[in-house]
Amino acid sequence: MWNFVFRRFLVAIPTLLLISVLIFGVIQLQPGGFLENMLDDPRVSRETVETIRKQYGLDQPVWVQYLSWLGGFVRGDFGYSFLNNRPVAGLIWERLGWTVFLALLTILVTWVVAIPLGIYTALRRHGLGATVANLIGYFGLATPDFLVALLLIFAVLSSGGTNVGGLFSPQYIDAPWSWEKFKDMLAHLWIPLIVIGLDGTASIMRQMRANMLDVLTQDYIRTARSKGLAERVVLWKHAVRNAINPLISIAGLTLPNLISSTIIASIVLNLPTIGPFLYQSLLDKDQYVVMALLMLSAVLLMIGNLLADLALAWADPRIRYE
Amino acid sequence: MSAQATARKPRIDRNNPLYLAWRRFLKNKPGVVSAIVLAILYLVALFAGFLAPYNLTTQHPDAVYQPPQRVYIIRDGRLVRPFVYQLEKKRDPVTFIASYQEDKTRPTPIRFFVRQGEPYSFFGIKTDLHLFGVSEGYFFPLGTDQFGRDLLSRMLVGSQVSLTVGVIGVIISFAIGILLGGISGYFGGWIDTVIQRTTEVLLSIPRLPILMALSTIIPASWPSTYVYLGIIAVLSFIGWAGLARVVRGQVLAAREVDYVTAARAIGAPNLRIILRHITPNLTSYLIVTATLALPGYIIGESALSFLGLGIKEPMASWGLLLKDAQNFQALNLYPWLLTPGILIFFSVLAYNFFGDALRDAADVRSVD
Amino acid sequence: MMTRKALWLLSFMVMGLALAQPKVVSGYENGKPGGTLTMALASAPQTMFYYGAIDSAIQTLANQMFDGLIEYNYKTYQIEPALAASWTITGESKVYTFKLRKGVKWSDGRDLTADDVVFTYTQIVANPEAKGGDAGNFAGVKIEKVDAGTVRFTLPKPAPAFIHYMRLPIMPKHKLVSFSQEGGKKPGDINNAWPTNVDPDEVVGTGPFKLQSYTAGQKVTLVKNPNYWKRDADGTPLPYLDRLEFLIIPDSQAQVAQFLAGNIGQLNISGTDFPTLKQREVQGAPIKVVQFRALFGSPPHLAFNFDDKNPELATLFRKTEFRRAIQSAVNRKRIIDDVYNGLAELPGNGVAPVSEWYYDTTKLLGTYDLGAANAALDKLGLKKGPDGIRLLPSGKPLEFTLTYGSNSSTFAAIATIIQNDLKAIGVKANLQGILAANLLGTGRGKDWDAIILGFGDQPDPELRTPIWKPGGDLYYWHQSTQPTTPNGQAQFNNFLPWEKEIYDLWEKAASTTNQTQRKALYDRWQAIFAREAMVIMIAKAYAVGAVSTKYGNYIYSLGVIPGYNPVTIMYQK
Repeated sequence: MWNFVFRRFLVAIPTLLLISVLIFGVIQLQPGGFLENMLDDPRVSRETVETIRKQYGLDQPVWVQYLSWLGGFVRGDFGYSFLNNRPVAGLIWERLGWTVFLALLTILVTWVVAIPLGIYTALRRHGLGATVANLIGYFGLATPDFLVALLLIFAVLSSGGTNVGGLFSPQYIDAPWSWEKFKDMLAHLWIPLIVIGLDGTASIMRQMRANMLDVLTQDYIRTARSKGLAERVVLWKHAVRNAINPLISIAGLTLPNLISSTIIASIVLNLPTIGPFLYQSLLDKDQYVVMALLMLSAVLLMIGNLLADLALAWADPRIRYE
Repeated sequence: MSAQATARKPRIDRNNPLYLAWRRFLKNKPGVVSAIVLAILYLVALFAGFLAPYNLTTQHPDAVYQPPQRVYIIRDGRLVRPFVYQLEKKRDPVTFIASYQEDKTRPTPIRFFVRQGEPYSFFGIKTDLHLFGVSEGYFFPLGTDQFGRDLLSRMLVGSQVSLTVGVIGVIISFAIGILLGGISGYFGGWIDTVIQRTTEVLLSIPRLPILMALSTIIPASWPSTYVYLGIIAVLSFIGWAGLARVVRGQVLAAREVDYVTAARAIGAPNLRIILRHITPNLTSYLIVTATLALPGYIIGESALSFLGLGIKEPMASWGLLLKDAQNFQALNLYPWLLTPGILIFFSVLAYNFFGDALRDAADVRSVD
Repeated sequence: MMTRKALWLLSFMVMGLALAQPKVVSGYENGKPGGTLTMALASAPQTMFYYGAIDSAIQTLANQMFDGLIEYNYKTYQIEPALAASWTITGESKVYTFKLRKGVKWSDGRDLTADDVVFTYTQIVANPEAKGGDAGNFAGVKIEKVDAGTVRFTLPKPAPAFIHYMRLPIMPKHKLVSFSQEGGKKPGDINNAWPTNVDPDEVVGTGPFKLQSYTAGQKVTLVKNPNYWKRDADGTPLPYLDRLEFLIIPDSQAQVAQFLAGNIGQLNISGTDFPTLKQREVQGAPIKVVQFRALFGSPPHLAFNFDDKNPELATLFRKTEFRRAIQSAVNRKRIIDDVYNGLAELPGNGVAPVSEWYYDTTKLLGTYDLGAANAALDKLGLKKGPDGIRLLPSGKPLEFTLTYGSNSSTFAAIATIIQNDLKAIGVKANLQGILAANLLGTGRGKDWDAIILGFGDQPDPELRTPIWKPGGDLYYWHQSTQPTTPNGQAQFNNFLPWEKEIYDLWEKAASTTNQTQRKALYDRWQAIFAREAMVIMIAKAYAVGAVSTKYGNYIYSLGVIPGYNPVTIMYQK
């Protein structure tokens, strides 16, 4: 297995290199940027901007900028945020905690809700419960998440609630952890969980349902039943286990969503994730912040894929490491 | 419909897989309903100019944020032809909220097949024939926006953008995906490696940020039609890689099938083998995937519009129209602005049901 | 009770006379100390150092943590003493001598001295590499310490608006010298001072509040500075509030939601959000929504590119008759009603109508009259073509792009309305939405025909010289007047006759110290501006603020203007 991991690691290097070139190129093509925007202030003169441009090496040819970034990246230096006058690593680190927390929690909740629902709707295809679950699932798929967010906030406001965004009430944001703070968080958490998780829950539920239906018609299930195994054993040991396998590879793909897919929901819901930071940096062309964040999510994707492959191999004895 | 089809071709081969799939599809009620809904939506988009009572951009400064007008058919206790009352605007002096009240003295009958308003172009023919309209005053069935533009008309014309973004986008990304995936799987070797690396790179780049980055690159000086195409290009640029990968897998498998080996043995050209022998094998799978990929484009377009990076005025799309509803002001006072959201909802839903039904009918197994 | 209070006051005043000169703020309700006010920041601060970035978040925060030598009156916007207790202007208006207020302490207990002031202006403000500095306005200015409590600025030539630059926040030398050239660093290193992860105790100021903590991307907490130098009419030390919290909420609708939920105590809103909030107030919610005629804030204008890439358009755009004809097609009343919900007024020309510098140009703004606009365009020889669009002399249709900020609801709405009215007079404007952040960048480039932009108004026209003086850095609609080299001469040969006139007025005003004469010069400029429709001013929005009824002494503030900070007198009931 370690051999397999090592080989995958080697393959990842050229891919990451290509990704970084591509992203760097796209960033360079962006119009505007913080240097241009500085000129909006009458205090700032062209010369000041040019001095700063030189200071940051932005007057260098693009490939020189890229190579110097790459040199730093290899040595573990993620670069410098021009806007924040600070190394990028610290800025990301400050914001990573909540991002990871929210993402992992969302993934967890998504799976805990979606898999049983998928099984349930597959077994009771035409029951009332299945219909309701399907409807909610379809609603999640078919409504843009910012709209769901806005409607939820509006609903909370209309009913006189105060938890209309963020993860905490203002007084708890910088307070030390306490039982009250935890309760406050729980009271806030459900909105982001619904907004971010609905989409994923719906699609995993649908896939699980489809896989289950698929598996249930397979010969080995019939064999198992005819052998006289208890229905419970047939379902859980044979059907569910086989139906869940294809989903494991999808799980790998959800990992990088930690960073990027929550951008819009985070803006509307004012969540302390890294998404809005990435969006702002992109607009301001704070290039090394963008590079670091996008590379981070690319790396996460690869790790996710690798983990998924390993998990798949563990879950499905038919699969071997090539 | 199935009865008709059988009647016309009485000697149909009942074991034809296509026929079997068709029968299976018809049994799936949500799928059939969705297909009909989609057909209606596209027909409506096609005839949008005729169905819309007003022009996409015509402003009515005296009717801003007018709520939908109610249609009546009973007047003075008697059944009459459908009519509406004109609305009168009042502004609250303190809150500045505009409110409208029906002016019961001014019933306006709705007339059908009227020639009025600005001409629109239908397949190159300029005409001013509209399905319905009123001869005096206004009739806004779904209300108006901030500029007094008829929401129904905007939604109808906007559907042309929203419903085609997906189709064109899917076609482009499928064309690239099939071609590259096919080449990659068929030839193998270094071509395969290069294409595989490229798709891997594209798949590893986070979607939304790169979508945002790419759409800010679209030059501002472009007219809105180009922006529309640019957005499709951006969306499909991201969409093709996943497909190419799947196609490659399928081709790898199909390559070893006897008839392909045979075709190769008699020296058929490579491209012909890919297109004539391998791709048809994948058709059902591709159609299903395409149908299920379409809603992603509709949602993607609305997300870009939300960030101000999507379709630009004076064009309209459902996402752009929905942007007007994204504030408490609208939710509170002008809830009819949410109707484009309902259309997004139903079209995405219809595509999903339709795709599911197709998948069940074609009996496409998951390809993992 | 009374006597004790009086006694306390008396003893305090005796002490104060000997040690300190607190500034007494009177004319407002006397509040009670204590309480917390939560507000919103639209973006996370990029630094905790005011001069380290052009960043509205730190500008807002710095307003609470630092003071300048002077400040503005909350009601009249007149200049008042702040850290400087008094000053004299001598030597043919070229020598400014400031006496510092006695007994002002930094929040860490150290005394404020002339060294701090000299350090701030020489090492930071005049440092051309400080991102948020102002080197341009301090070129050739000699700054020196006279004694521990006196600072002298000697100007190379008279500059009547110079006093306004004295509102810039004064920084503590003892904390920042190690980042400066004086401390042996490169000029650019000053930007590295006080990054966002700085120890809050390092950020030492003289302002009403001091930094307590920053939770990255979420919240900034400030607490009362016990050493603050202002008192209310009763002698109670200001500020009243114990804590000031800023929640970082980028989305304006999320801000409104938090305000309605009661999590934010005060919020600046746009006219768009007014009806919903006002409705809540009318329905009895514990909020107050107030509107003021505003001095600050950026009124939008419509500009045409005098140097358009299409020479035919450039020629047309330079014609005053053309711009005035377009102006007649700009329906200001409708824009004020429908875009601002009635919360705006007719604009001034480069000066806010509420300002003492305002010259009444309303007559020159013209009225909305499509007939007159049509006639004026006919007179220019622009005949209508078969499809109703006017034709340029070359026979091409009169068609151009109209650039606006697609993510600004106000600008987008104005653009849509203008485009619609232009269509009615046979002028085809193609809307071109770009991100609002890139608007000015686009305007300063060459790739535009017409654009909707806004520049902030300031208390003195002189402060807007780079914008309104032909050839200035931000005089973007006629870029061929701008110098070809930095600090070079304007290209006079490209001036239009009236631009020369304006240029001369500004030159003269810049060295005129007599207030009446200056006012006359700027009046003349505003009249020419309006007459020529240099750019077409559209509307001046009112300042609209919403505040919880829990708080008293609420005065609207943009938040980012140095020297204007009414939060000091707000109190929690």
